[in-house]
Amino acid sequence: MASANQENDRPQNIRAIMTFLREHAPFSSMDDSHLAHFAENASIQFYADGDVVLSPDHDVVKRFYVVKQGRIRGERHNDKEDRTETTFEISQGECFPLAAMIGERPTRTLHRASGDTFCLSIGQAAFVTLFSESEPFRDFCLRGVSSLLDQVNRRIQSNAMASMGSSTSLDTPLERYALRNPIVCSPDLPVRKAVARMHENNVGSIIITDENRIPTGIFTLRDLRTMIAEGTGPLDTPIQQVMTKDPCCLPSHADAFEAAMLMAEHHFAHLCVIDDDHKLIGVVSERDLFSLQRVDLVNLARTIGTATHLRTLVSLRTDVSRLVDAMLAHGADSGQVVKIITTLNDVTVRRVLELNIKKNDPGIPFTWLTFGSEGRQEQTLLTDQDNGILFETPEGMTEDQVREKLLPFARKVNDELAECGFTLCKGNIMASNPKLCLSDREWDDWFIRFIDASTPQNLVYSSIFLDMRAIYGPTEPLDALLDKVLARIRKNALFQKMLAGNAFQRKPPLTMFRNFRYLSEEGNKHSLDLKRQGLAPFVEAVRVFALANGVETANTLERMDELAKKGIFDPKDANAWQEAYSLIQAIRMRAHQEMLAKGEELTNYIDPDDLNPLDRRILRESFRQAQRLQQKLEVTYQL
Amino acid sequence: MLEQIKQWIEHRRGGKIGSHDTGNLPNPKTPGEQLLTDCRLIVLDLETTGLNAAKDEVIAIGAVAIRGGIIHLGDQFDLILRRPELDIRETVLIHGIGPEALTQGHEIEDALLYLLEWMNGDPILAYHSAFDQKFLEKTLKAQLGYTQPHTWMDVADLMPAFFPNTKTGGKGLDNWADYFGLEVSERHHAASDALATAELTLIALNKARTEGVKTLKGLYDKLHYHRRLQNMHRY
Repeated sequence: MASANQENDRPQNIRAIMTFLREHAPFSSMDDSHLAHFAENASIQFYADGDVVLSPDHDVVKRFYVVKQGRIRGERHNDKEDRTETTFEISQGECFPLAAMIGERPTRTLHRASGDTFCLSIGQAAFVTLFSESEPFRDFCLRGVSSLLDQVNRRIQSNAMASMGSSTSLDTPLERYALRNPIVCSPDLPVRKAVARMHENNVGSIIITDENRIPTGIFTLRDLRTMIAEGTGPLDTPIQQVMTKDPCCLPSHADAFEAAMLMAEHHFAHLCVIDDDHKLIGVVSERDLFSLQRVDLVNLARTIGTATHLRTLVSLRTDVSRLVDAMLAHGADSGQVVKIITTLNDVTVRRVLELNIKKNDPGIPFTWLTFGSEGRQEQTLLTDQDNGILFETPEGMTEDQVREKLLPFARKVNDELAECGFTLCKGNIMASNPKLCLSDREWDDWFIRFIDASTPQNLVYSSIFLDMRAIYGPTEPLDALLDKVLARIRKNALFQKMLAGNAFQRKPPLTMFRNFRYLSEEGNKHSLDLKRQGLAPFVEAVRVFALANGVETANTLERMDELAKKGIFDPKDANAWQEAYSLIQAIRMRAHQEMLAKGEELTNYIDPDDLNPLDRRILRESFRQAQRLQQKLEVTYQL
Repeated sequence: MLEQIKQWIEHRRGGKIGSHDTGNLPNPKTPGEQLLTDCRLIVLDLETTGLNAAKDEVIAIGAVAIRGGIIHLGDQFDLILRRPELDIRETVLIHGIGPEALTQGHEIEDALLYLLEWMNGDPILAYHSAFDQKFLEKTLKAQLGYTQPHTWMDVADLMPAFFPNTKTGGKGLDNWADYFGLEVSERHHAASDALATAELTLIALNKARTEGVKTLKGLYDKLHYHRRLQNMHRY
């Protein structure tokens, strides 16, 4: 009752300002008394379109602003290109300047009103009071928008966690998991004694180290089982003859996620943790990482990788979806989750190929290629097949003769993958298509035509064929092919420009007023396509820069890393773009998980009105980052 | 200032605020060479029991101050008067101030003295100011015998003076507020209407600056010129 009275006793205008603030982060998490303090000390100022609000030429920043109505844009002069760039936009409910206010310095960016704009602001004294008394406010000021991103991620986690009941995070450094003082022995110790030592200590593995405590091998209970079952030697064999040599090692600052990925990829259950001098510090087992989880990645990967029937593979697909839930719950970010999905998809594809080779070996070595999102290692649960075959024509055979043998095999594999949930490609970009089952020479010709005689149709395919990866068979033929393709693209400025022009067509879904631009398709009005409108602008623009600058990896986030390293992207820009891209991906994946839970068909459409204000704001900001990336494309290629 | 108002409401609701120097009330200022960038303006709105200044009475006063072209929320006035004897049946649905609020309102003489001190003789702006001026002057005279004339300016004139030929669809506060996309938190609440009027004033002051109007007198003259133009068109 007391607080209700207090609320009523506040003057109407103070209450109104508090109501306004409450709708926006970080104020939405702040106490009423702090909001009242803000409102009572606030000023309202008006700026007409184009008025300067803050300038680097002004003195030290003394006020902290919130946009009440209208917009503020940040301008910075790009000396290299001699033009003014809009570096950010601040809309209703958002605050500025953070860094300059905390750093007690002038702003480095010109803040200008964009349209008629009202701002609320408080002076330094009120700012300091709130900063010291309100934790959400302090957190926001110190970490800026990234603290909001954390809120989003935390919510994704807590949603997924509801079904998991665990709180371990995959970002936890490995040393926290690692068993200290692991059981070790020298290479000449007989197996019997080594096993006795494992038994005494109740562990499942022993690490074999040299005199410098550098791990040289690992011996596990599984190895013991194989040794006895296959009768490879007596129990007094020196352990170095039966150990697994060169065990997988990770530095102690690597995180649990990296360990889990490495284990899933190689089907290992144990990893050595080493220091900077490669000396052994500890051992991490799969059970250490996933002791609290019901679904485990390594086991799932292993089960897929050793399944003996197609129907087992089909049934395991539901576990993959459960695992995605678990991963989100354990704090994996969207980049991590798409990699996990891709890894498990790779294992599935490999197993389908292996099972088919066992049944009906076409007798010709080949490399199984994958294109598009799987090529980029960016698959989500909604995925279709984009694959092809690369072969070396054996002596005495023609290419058509090879195809005669490979195509029926590929058709079977495509069909079986479809049963596993990889939808058949509507555009027939599949290995069973004779045009995509080619020898190294034919592929090379194919790319020459693709690059030198680029037609609009070709350009549509660029998003598929220029993101390519080998997932089965020898990788050398593909590496050789890629080298040639990349070299050709680097030399062909016209092709680059056409690619850039094509990427530029993919406009992020924002109107010039910074509202969402909806699809105009029938049946999907008032919705956004997160893949085509949200992610594609990043993927396409980054691909152009990557190909033009000899970046070999196909993964969009990794391409951005490489481009930053090469100085093509400003590291801060690259970081902002990576964050924006990951967030769109995260929102898309969360939508998929929700559709799956409701038993709906998976789509990439969302209605922004279904999102909470924070997600909406972040989505909008992410799209704006895509616009900035496209601006760079525009300037670089003079589109 | 705001702390003081809050203290009244919390501890002395309706009670007397104490010592007013009634013999030494501030003198109204005349519009001279004061710079708009540092003078103080009062933006005021009254709620009344009706539209007829001869028989209706003031029941609530809301006002904000603009200093140097900025609204300072710590410098505002928001009071309901204690006038339980008034008949509010005709207007209660508009301003939402019921008999109970009027019983618990602030003691009238004290509130008016405080208002005069708070306004400090600064020029008063209001939307359709003739209405507010008539009511306020009548009330000040009746309750305190105070008759000094403040400088009044009408924001309903100020807007078309600086934004001529603007298609607002009407001359009301709502028309201009809608045109500039302002959100009025609670229409027909004195303080809330005063804030909306003050926000429009900020827009006009911004335009005045770009047109080279620098002083209070300049603003006042511009307003009168606009008035005369309007009158000429009328006849």
